[in-house]
Amino acid sequence: MTSPLYIIAVALAAAFLLGLLREQWRSLAYPVTLAALAFMSWLSASWLWALASGSASPVDIYTAGTAPPFAINLRMALPEAVLTLLINLTGLFSALYLKSALLARGRRGMAVLLVAIMALSGIVLTRDIFNLFVFLELVVIATGGLVLLSDHAHALSAGFKYLVVSQVISILLLIGIIFAYHATGTLNIDGMAEAVPGLQNAGASQAFELAFFLMFIALVAELKPFPANGWALDIYEAAHPAFSAIFSAGAGTAALYAVDKLLLIGGPAWLDMATGVGIVTFVAGNLLALPQSNDRRLLGYSSVAQIGLILAVLGQRDILGEDTYFIAGGLLLSHAVAKAGLFWLSGLLAGRQLVDWADLRERPMPVFAFVTFAAMLSGLPPFPGFYAKWELVHHLAGSGRLVLLALVLFGALIEAGYLFRWFGYILKREPPGEADFCRVIFDKPHRVLPVMVAVAAGWALAFVWGELASSLLGRSNLLLALPLLFALSFLLLDWLPAWVKNSLAIAGLVAFFAATWTDYDALRMIFAIIFTLGGALTLLASYHVHGRRVGFYPAAMLMFAGMVMLIRADTSFDFFAAWELLTVGSYFLILRGKHSEPHALSYILFSLGGAFLIMAGFAIAAQGAPQFALASLAHVAAPFAPWVFLLLAIGFMTKTAAIGLHIWLPGAHAEAETDVSPMVSGILLKAGLYGLMVLLLAMGKQQLYGIELTHVLLWVAALTALLGNLMAVFQEDAKRLLAYSSIGQMGYALFGLALMNHLGWLMALVFVINHYIYKAMLFLAVGGVAKRTGTREMYRMGGLIRLMPLSFIAVLVGIIAVSGVPPLSGFGGRWVFYNAILASDYRLPMVVLFLAGPIAFLYLFRLIYTIFLGQLKDELRRVKEAPFWIVLPQMIYVALLIAFAVVPGLALHRVDTYLNQFFPEGGLSWAGGEITSNYGYWNPVAIMIIVGVIFCTVFAWLLFVNRRAQPVKQFNIVFSAERPFRPETTHFAWNFFAPYRKALGFLTQPLVTIFWTTVTDLLHTAGDLGRRLYNGNGQTYAFHFLAFVVIVFFLVGL
Amino acid sequence: MQFEWIKIPYALLTLFIVVNYGMLLGAFIQKIGARVGRRRGVPIWQNYADLVKNFGLRTSITHGVMFYLGPVFRLTGGIGLLLFVPTIYGSEMFSNLSFAGDLILALYFVFFGTLGMALGAGESGHPHAAIGISRGLSQVTAAELPLALAVFSVALQYQTLSITDIVSAQQGGVLHWTLFTNPLAVAAAMLSFLGSMMRPPFDVVLAPQEIPIGPPTEYHSSYLALMQTNRAIFPVAKIVVYMNLFFGGAASWPVFFLKVFLIYMVSVFVGVAFPRFRVEQSIRWFLVWAVPLGILSILLA
Amino acid sequence: MIAQLSIATGFLLILIGLYGALIQRNILRMIVAFTVADTGVNIVIVAVGFMAGRTAPILDAAVPVADAAARIIDPLPQALVLTAIVIGLGTTALMLAYAFKLYEKRRTLDIDKFTDLRG
Repeated sequence: MTSPLYIIAVALAAAFLLGLLREQWRSLAYPVTLAALAFMSWLSASWLWALASGSASPVDIYTAGTAPPFAINLRMALPEAVLTLLINLTGLFSALYLKSALLARGRRGMAVLLVAIMALSGIVLTRDIFNLFVFLELVVIATGGLVLLSDHAHALSAGFKYLVVSQVISILLLIGIIFAYHATGTLNIDGMAEAVPGLQNAGASQAFELAFFLMFIALVAELKPFPANGWALDIYEAAHPAFSAIFSAGAGTAALYAVDKLLLIGGPAWLDMATGVGIVTFVAGNLLALPQSNDRRLLGYSSVAQIGLILAVLGQRDILGEDTYFIAGGLLLSHAVAKAGLFWLSGLLAGRQLVDWADLRERPMPVFAFVTFAAMLSGLPPFPGFYAKWELVHHLAGSGRLVLLALVLFGALIEAGYLFRWFGYILKREPPGEADFCRVIFDKPHRVLPVMVAVAAGWALAFVWGELASSLLGRSNLLLALPLLFALSFLLLDWLPAWVKNSLAIAGLVAFFAATWTDYDALRMIFAIIFTLGGALTLLASYHVHGRRVGFYPAAMLMFAGMVMLIRADTSFDFFAAWELLTVGSYFLILRGKHSEPHALSYILFSLGGAFLIMAGFAIAAQGAPQFALASLAHVAAPFAPWVFLLLAIGFMTKTAAIGLHIWLPGAHAEAETDVSPMVSGILLKAGLYGLMVLLLAMGKQQLYGIELTHVLLWVAALTALLGNLMAVFQEDAKRLLAYSSIGQMGYALFGLALMNHLGWLMALVFVINHYIYKAMLFLAVGGVAKRTGTREMYRMGGLIRLMPLSFIAVLVGIIAVSGVPPLSGFGGRWVFYNAILASDYRLPMVVLFLAGPIAFLYLFRLIYTIFLGQLKDELRRVKEAPFWIVLPQMIYVALLIAFAVVPGLALHRVDTYLNQFFPEGGLSWAGGEITSNYGYWNPVAIMIIVGVIFCTVFAWLLFVNRRAQPVKQFNIVFSAERPFRPETTHFAWNFFAPYRKALGFLTQPLVTIFWTTVTDLLHTAGDLGRRLYNGNGQTYAFHFLAFVVIVFFLVGL
Repeated sequence: MQFEWIKIPYALLTLFIVVNYGMLLGAFIQKIGARVGRRRGVPIWQNYADLVKNFGLRTSITHGVMFYLGPVFRLTGGIGLLLFVPTIYGSEMFSNLSFAGDLILALYFVFFGTLGMALGAGESGHPHAAIGISRGLSQVTAAELPLALAVFSVALQYQTLSITDIVSAQQGGVLHWTLFTNPLAVAAAMLSFLGSMMRPPFDVVLAPQEIPIGPPTEYHSSYLALMQTNRAIFPVAKIVVYMNLFFGGAASWPVFFLKVFLIYMVSVFVGVAFPRFRVEQSIRWFLVWAVPLGILSILLA
Repeated sequence: MIAQLSIATGFLLILIGLYGALIQRNILRMIVAFTVADTGVNIVIVAVGFMAGRTAPILDAAVPVADAAARIIDPLPQALVLTAIVIGLGTTALMLAYAFKLYEKRRTLDIDKFTDLRG
């Protein structure tokens, strides 16, 4: 093997060579730089390969031929190989990226760059504390130089501020080093670590502690901890993006590793301080990033935060043990690759505001790159951060460090918040208008390449970490999961026309069900059918879209992949991974709507918040184990069980949009595309119910402080049903109306589950099936109408029954079914509901549910009347029936609804039997067409026939006596002996239930919205207050640093 | 289960009796109302005359399919409600078609006609129809609530949802009636009853003075005839449910006629004595006065 | 005694330097303050390596290799201080270059005038 010393030697040699290069060979300078960096990268890579495959063992290199403490030694082991590879590659691609800047500045700039990369690698490699100091100072000086590569107007002042604070830091570091040396007699890090326990007297050891504190705080300051980091943020903002990439990915990495080495000396006593500084930085950094509008400054805050998190992880090594490097490495590499990628990406754009990133819109590759980076940073599957976060949270929960756990998740949520808000800007804001981006892409391939390499590296890391997780820890490698691969394959197929992809997607869903249907028990079977076949059915509607429909299929299939993985998951890890996948997929899907930016954001935030609660719940339930079989939720020990229940239940209820957590739903479902609304409403909501079912089956009734949690759930469910229905009544927007109605319906289903008896569960399943069918149908119908009329406001429609008869039939059947009027299938749900509550002990929550029931009639009537009946408007007289592909699934749903109404047993009989093992009491008996419970009976076939016969008889009679009825024109009505003036003034539709609003409107005060708005406002205000610390003055920053040192000093309590 | 075809003529017989009784009862009640107001009132056969006249009208128009079907829905709802509930307790002959479902079926089938009628009226395009429906639906959501609570309370009390079983549990003397065993539920249900009879103070839906006759505005001739038939059947059918649940049912036709008449009279007494509520007033009234009674009855059941 | 005195002097210089760097608004004065602090650090380093009654760490006739360990002072701090001086020089030079550039650009050396990046 080539000695790793050559990483340093080659860089130095090349740097000197550049300095000595003759003027006429100037053009060689850039190739030499690249070659040197490539060689350094190759060297690191070859060591990484050798060490990872076991063909080489870690080596120590003695520089002067003698062992320490008499000479400096370097070490190359696996962590060093990984980190130097990261640094060198960042350097290489940044050098590529910097081509024009470097060529303009001449070869000295290149030399400085080489020195910087060399010094960063040196920090990683060296085992000598003074040598570390030297490399650190080299980095400072090189940074001072490289900042000036930027054209930014304030790069100069930023660099100076950086130098000022660096000076202060280096003074502390140097004093620390010399006293540490004085106490231990060595400068070798390992030597120091060995010498510390042997210090003779208390005085010496105290002096050493002080010295160590100085060294440690100086190195920690290199991580830019809050609040001593204003000087570094200016660099992020002002420097050339390629250098910011090095600064974030390379310098951050090196400094972290330096701190890690120091912790070796300090021992466990210093871990708490690392954790404390780290977590405060993580939370504060993310809070401060929240109000940023400048992209690079935001990335700077985000870098600060990420490195803080990793510092906290290093501080937790007492409980993380061997997993420390798996976790810290996963977070670090995700951070480095993603940040480097984002900084590089930012260089392709002209504008510096976040909204200027809308330039990327319509360009799949950069958008995909951004998605990859954002997902890596927020720790979404299948990226390394996901595995790392899972392990971290489990360790923290296992050792009872719940405050830390909460802070980690809180910070991560804020981070996801600004990242996804940003993503929303990219897809939904108007591009600034300059067609600058296109030119950059084609003119400067050397700037695009690094971004693409970072994307590739991100996915490669995802695979590697998955492999590590599966080989070392027994987790599954998500990138090997077939459904996920199927979904991702659509990324490669995105050039195909939409109908081909649609056919593939439908075929995939159906084939998956055909291949796996024998695996499911009766309960899962219902969900499996809805998730796969139901999904295929809604996808039929997608045939109406022409063109390529870029980005739709990867997102949709990601959601479906997540859902099928969810029902197939046996372990908590698989379950959670699937949950995150379906969340992310559905987020992309929802975001596709024209005006859905804010709604998609609140969706993903609620969902991720819920997901974090679920993860915390699983972690607490696991009690130190890294994962567990879902069924063993039943065996969670007593003091934790109710809390686990609570966390998981709230987490799942974010998806079912229980009241209080519902504000994302109306916008998200209403603004989604025509064929997306049925998917996210009819299908996606069921994922939350499935989670609740798994939870309740395993954990059953739990008591917390004497309160039975299922009882609380009952109340939540009842209020959800009531308020969901009530709010639906007052909507003018048809899709919002349906969305609120979904909230109400989910309330019913949740209520059934929370009853915790046989029929309650059966009722929930009836609602699951029914809600899928009629809500998918109604959303399609209304979507079709909205497509034709160009509006979703119901009062602007009217009288469409003649023009869109098929849509009318779908809506008619839909509303009869939703309202529960016999003979259609909704009645089955109501019947089971009454039987279920008779068997339950809780009575008060039912009152609320009773109140909710009839309200459904209000909004349902409004839906059909204001759209299809009443007066046709002039501008809509030429409207045609909805497109064939939107109508076709509706007609299939009509058939399904009627079939389910006549023979509910087909779907329910098996489930009823299946539920006997959990709730042996109170099942139904299915004799012929008659269904009997302990209390009553019901014969769907007979009802259908009787109603049909009566209806037909009366109809026939009317036809007989009234056969000569003449159709009249629209305005031919008895209107106070006058003709009405215009359809607009005659169609009684706007604020249709005005008297009802007068009576009960006060219940629909948007209290929940106000609450959540206040929460986000508070977070923003906190961020804004924090920003005032950073007044831009270098001296203030130096003062911050000193204050930071003093505060930490007293907190450590030396 | 083997279907007995003989049930069909029996059911038709019940229907025939109820239609005629309903027609006469309607006119009689109208007459009582008139007499209270010192007027002469209509003759007792007035409804027959109206029916014949309406069927006999030759001019007829339609606003569309739903408009045409509206009265059909309405009448189907009335007949269905009547036939899904056993009329005479202990009589196989007049148990009608109650084998199809229990109390819940009856309660939900009430909405079948309402919904269909509302749709038909909606298609007429007349704003008064829409206003009437808006008022009616708003009011009914509050008015039905006490009944639902009372029904649930009764079902809890007797631990069954079968109407026949509920009636049989009340046999053996007046004091066994739900009226006396569960007075709160009956009180709640009777308040709700006031709301569903379209009489003052809860008749703003039809509001004869301000929005000429509300939802049925555009209906005429044979449409109106169907609706009139329903107007004869539906109140009786609804009262039958009340009678069975709360007043011990009826074991014979004379008892049936008497009980239905007396229950109907409750709404008449209130109606002639009180002025009309606006919709939001009646909603509040039901929520403030009737619903708490229903809740109490459930908690105590 | 000399060692303690030197260390005290060194720390005094460091404090003076830091105080100056934090208080002075003029960039050049700040740089000077930093050099004062650097000097202080260097004095501390040398002082830490000082041992009373010993000789310079030069192995020649006067100090045989055999008993060098007992007679010379610790050579390492002196080596360190050389490096530190070099690095300090580099940093100071860089800062001066910056000061020049800053002045060139804004015609002022007041640190308070360079607060454009903030928050």
